[in-house]
Amino acid sequence: MSTSITGVEDRTLVRRSARGPVNRNEVLLEVRDLRVTFQRRGGVATRAVDGVSFAVKPGEVVGIVGESGSGKSVTSMAVMGLLPSRGVQVSGQALYRGRDLLTLPPGELSDLRGRELAMVFQDPMSSLNPVVPVGTQVTEVLLRHQDISRADARDEAEDLLRRCGIPDPRRRLKEYPHQLSGGMRQRALIAIALACKPALLICDEPTTALDVTIQAQVLELLKELVNDLGTAMVMITHDLGVVAGLCDSVNVMYAGRVVESAARRELFGHPRHRYTEGLLASIPRLDAPRGEPLRPIPGTPRDVLGWDQGCAFAPRCRHAADDCIVGDLPLEPMGRMGHEVRCVHPAPEHVERLRSDLSAPVVAGTTTDADNSASGGGELR
Amino acid sequence: MSEPLLEVTGLEVHFPIKRGLVFDRTVGHVRAVDGVDLTVQRGQTFGLVGESGCGKSTLGRAILRLEEPTGGSVRFDGRDLGGLGSEPLRKMRRRMQMVFQDPLSSLDPRASVESLLTEPLTVHGLSEADRQEFGRDSTKSHAAKASAMLDVVGLPGSALAKYPHEFSGGQRQRIGIARAMILNPDLVIADEPVSALDVSVQAQVINLLEGLQDLLGLTYLVIAHDLAVVRHISDVIGVMYLGTIVEQADSDDLYAEPLHPYTIALMSAIPIPDPDVEDRRERILLRGDLPSPANPPSGCRFHTRCPYRQATRCDTEVPALRPVEGAGGRLVACHWAEDIRSGAVHVADPTLLVEPDVGVPAAGARG
Repeated sequence: MSTSITGVEDRTLVRRSARGPVNRNEVLLEVRDLRVTFQRRGGVATRAVDGVSFAVKPGEVVGIVGESGSGKSVTSMAVMGLLPSRGVQVSGQALYRGRDLLTLPPGELSDLRGRELAMVFQDPMSSLNPVVPVGTQVTEVLLRHQDISRADARDEAEDLLRRCGIPDPRRRLKEYPHQLSGGMRQRALIAIALACKPALLICDEPTTALDVTIQAQVLELLKELVNDLGTAMVMITHDLGVVAGLCDSVNVMYAGRVVESAARRELFGHPRHRYTEGLLASIPRLDAPRGEPLRPIPGTPRDVLGWDQGCAFAPRCRHAADDCIVGDLPLEPMGRMGHEVRCVHPAPEHVERLRSDLSAPVVAGTTTDADNSASGGGELR
Repeated sequence: MSEPLLEVTGLEVHFPIKRGLVFDRTVGHVRAVDGVDLTVQRGQTFGLVGESGCGKSTLGRAILRLEEPTGGSVRFDGRDLGGLGSEPLRKMRRRMQMVFQDPLSSLDPRASVESLLTEPLTVHGLSEADRQEFGRDSTKSHAAKASAMLDVVGLPGSALAKYPHEFSGGQRQRIGIARAMILNPDLVIADEPVSALDVSVQAQVINLLEGLQDLLGLTYLVIAHDLAVVRHISDVIGVMYLGTIVEQADSDDLYAEPLHPYTIALMSAIPIPDPDVEDRRERILLRGDLPSPANPPSGCRFHTRCPYRQATRCDTEVPALRPVEGAGGRLVACHWAEDIRSGAVHVADPTLLVEPDVGVPAAGARG
């Protein structure tokens, strides 16, 4: 069959990639010590992002997880240069292939954006222009970045929509965003982002507005892109389930800082920061035995302490002690495999759990190499 | 078992589609709810799940007659709500309350928490039990009840003088819950009670709802799109698709063995926050989107997207919600439920099946 699960036609994307073979060990994007401060005239400065660092390689998915207000979206906007210049101070570095995106002249950044860097936004209704047909919005990117004629751009756009799983793309090109369903709009948005086969894709809650069955389709499409094209992806989400299925490494953000960073299996298997641990214990799981009460995190994400006064999570933390209230807690390596935690009293490593992991034949090897996703293929359901 | 608290039979809500400026011609109907039967026992939690547009919220509203049903009947505690006049219905509503999804838009921004909480008491008066505790209806007894209720939902007494915008999402939802519970209702319909809240706060509200159920002996109808949340709090779950219930089962059974193809696909699409589980489970994808409820597909409504679709019956015969043989009285609306269960009918289109991620070529090169 020529069409795969998501409707992406038989690996044509791979053949068409103009970028040639990707070097999967090259660091494509490296964000170093990114800080974003918002200040209104006469108002108090708010630091939304406070020293965030991460790196993405081709074919890798880096997850940024956090609740609303944790600074995860601002991080992505800052990297893409989409924040307004007034009232916003951005410092640090965002190196894309060695060039700092934060200091790049606007013209050069515009050339990169859309061609090599692309972004998929959360709400397709507010990020697509409602008075411009979908087709024009797709061809716009092609005409801006590639030297092709309008007719070719239109054919290319039709091809793109089809590859993103939109049925009857010729008709859809002439339609306006409101005539498309939510899932299709999100696919159109992804098609726009993929128009120039970007090397780096930043997805800001790409599936939050979608139903689960549509979400599964979209995630499958993104997975194919990463695996087949070697696209590097930054996945921003609040849904730990999405992270568990898609990301290679995960950064958990709280109040503007990364509080825990680890490979996917390591993070979910052995969460060390009390916030991560609390989050995992508080969400109802579909496969958990029923009747167990949830253990919520007390308070709300608004009850924060400034990081300069101590751990921002301390007011909500069950394990907070006096020594948590010290300025500038570092993100320290802890345990194995690049696991980093910003916590004075981290959760102990689950020794029993480790042992059971090691003895379980199906997942043998996964605990020693967290990135090895080739585990036994037992069906679960 | 005693008489059920709520009995819904053949409920229909059809919204007319109007055309024309002068003459409002009705050119069709959106069949938001199209023949739903459900029974909720006293003290039970009935969970209703489905994707957006499947009619679950409309069903909830139609049960309370916030939306006038166009067909079928709703019996509440033995009385037919459809036949009630406005005054008896108003009196009946003290026993049936609703918790809404978005507390910011369902609470009057210009009313203080005290007036928000005492408003239902002004309309309906204190319940019998509360009258013994707080005295006759008066401003004073109402205020006392309101402050007692705040305590129950875990808000400080100082909140009484504040306004909705001064609270966080979770606290606002607590106010919404307090407002629904202050009349000591029998039935509470909660429409997406936690979906507008932050992940870390959702669990607080879920636990609160569970605690209140034990404390006040409530019966819940919980409507949500998140199957994990619904499964956590419900005893019985009904899965809705395009205006009808396609499967109804005990929540443990539903997870252990979904029988309707839609439930099977829905279950496999829900991400589980555990990489080991995620990598090893098989996924069944659905093609396309929800069809329009104005023009639902013939036969089984799910046949246009069904991965198990068969050549016969599916597109011509409407499947009834019926007990499946040998599955302990579970109700499924699928012609082939038994065959799917026994494995005689497989996923017809292999491209819709996503095998577990074993040996992804890129995996070795990472890290």
